[in-house]
Amino acid sequence: MTTATIAPALPRWRGTGVTNQIAILTGRSLRALVNDPKLLILSLLQPLIMLLLFSQVFGSMAGGSNFPAGVSYINYLMPAILVTSGVGAALQSGIGLVTDMKNGVLGRLRSLPVSNVSVLVARSLSDLVRTAVQLIVLLIAATVLFDFSPAGGMLGVLPAFLLALAVSWALSWIFLAVGAWVRNAESMQSVGFLAMFPLMFASSAFVPIDSLPVWLKVVATINPLTYAVDASRNLALDLPVGNGVVGALAASVGLLVVGVVAAVRGFRRPLAS
Amino acid sequence: MTDIMIEATDVTMTFGDVTALDGVSVQVPRGSVLGLLGHNGAGKTTLVNILTTVLPPTSGTARVAGFDVERQGAEVRGRIGLTGQFASVDEQLSGFDNLVLIARLLGANRREAKVRADELLALFDLTGAAKRPAKTYSGGMRRRLDLAASLVGRPDVIFLDEPTTGLDPASRIGLWEVVEGLVDDGTTVLLTTQYLDEADRLADRITVLSEGKVVAAGTAAELKAQVGKRAVHVTLATLQDTPAAIVSLEKHGLAPVLDEPKGELRTPVAASADLAVVVRALDEARIEVAELALTEPSLDDVYLSLAKNKAA
Repeated sequence: MTTATIAPALPRWRGTGVTNQIAILTGRSLRALVNDPKLLILSLLQPLIMLLLFSQVFGSMAGGSNFPAGVSYINYLMPAILVTSGVGAALQSGIGLVTDMKNGVLGRLRSLPVSNVSVLVARSLSDLVRTAVQLIVLLIAATVLFDFSPAGGMLGVLPAFLLALAVSWALSWIFLAVGAWVRNAESMQSVGFLAMFPLMFASSAFVPIDSLPVWLKVVATINPLTYAVDASRNLALDLPVGNGVVGALAASVGLLVVGVVAAVRGFRRPLAS
Repeated sequence: MTDIMIEATDVTMTFGDVTALDGVSVQVPRGSVLGLLGHNGAGKTTLVNILTTVLPPTSGTARVAGFDVERQGAEVRGRIGLTGQFASVDEQLSGFDNLVLIARLLGANRREAKVRADELLALFDLTGAAKRPAKTYSGGMRRRLDLAASLVGRPDVIFLDEPTTGLDPASRIGLWEVVEGLVDDGTTVLLTTQYLDEADRLADRITVLSEGKVVAAGTAAELKAQVGKRAVHVTLATLQDTPAAIVSLEKHGLAPVLDEPKGELRTPVAASADLAVVVRALDEARIEVAELALTEPSLDDVYLSLAKNKAA
């Protein structure tokens, strides 16, 4: 071979496929989580405190007439904590998106050949991993510290955990959509908390809805959280689930579709002008 | 390969009732620098946003590196670098990780990305801070990292949106040298700035924007000729001498203007030799001078002169 040696041209990179974009961006968010675990630890604090307070304060109520017979309060409570923590994590997902918008990194991504959809999907996937870690830590804490041992055993807890995760993931897209349109972390935080507390308490999360005053019972009956909590609890406690699980999953798919469409549309708008 | 790397034709941008750009056209040939000069709110950043595909124009067309910014956005974004107020870095990640992330998103493999990141960190004197989170960087380091981030893909066209605002003089000059190096390598640059000296040093051609319109365009020399003159600023030792000083300067064919609040005399001059005329005029009238300086025309002078031309 007598080909003349030509200096190799400097590589010019023009972009990469959507799957690659999502993998790279998901990796980036997860790396930030590992580098700065403060956020993960802080987000665990609230459900842990709730677990501690509720199990101690309301512990003696279990065995009351409205509670399922022979179920300790921690076993009644924990599946609900999985769902409510998942809802809280979903809210954090939306707030995280808004923070990224302010941070300037999304502005940088917009100047690169990266699809907006990739940015959103990556955010949602890394948050899914974060939520899963959070829920697993909670489950371990509940088992070790508070003697959580539901009748359904591992085979009941696992689907309960997966259901809570699915609800959380679907809701995270709703909050991503809110974040993409509202673009203000402070107002999201306060509106989120304002919405979450009534949703949590006017539901079957902490006490059976039959023990609530009538007006609250009406609210709890139409509160979608009640259905997610009931489904998760019945799975964990090995009680008849009826079509609760199917209902919760169907509602999640509905939320997911609405959330994805609204999030992509909202996120497409310019970051700043 | 096209030789006009940036081309905006009759671009208009409105936000509600506000017209940010009103029929702006620019052309930048390959390997040259266009300085986009204007005050805050003149429309500089809006034009950069349109050319970098961040905002779609309300009307008009724009092409960058031969691709239409609206219909071929991804092609454009694969060939440009942007350093500006809204494109920055991830504060949580280290400088190294930020550059690797961008290289990977542009399609480099892991090894290529790391090599490129190290290369750029060295070029911008950031090797020592490579592993630290970007949030711990000083303003100057941060700006250098921003610029490095926009160069990862060896772009054909670079947009620098007020790259030296808020930098200390040494960092400014350092950044200018980097830009000059890029241009030597054939990169096309669009630079927005509020500083005439910056545009003067870097830009082959300057376009002046005011309230969304192009009010002047040309080389730095052409613009300065349009503005007219440099000026000698004189502060007298005693204010009472002012009328006498004016009379004497006028006798020498000069046209001093009194800046009331400061008590300073501003005398436009055609050439630096006229500085001597000013000194002689004041000396003949035996007027003591506290301070005397020759100043270059500023962006304000450009605007003032343009406004005057419009009125005339």
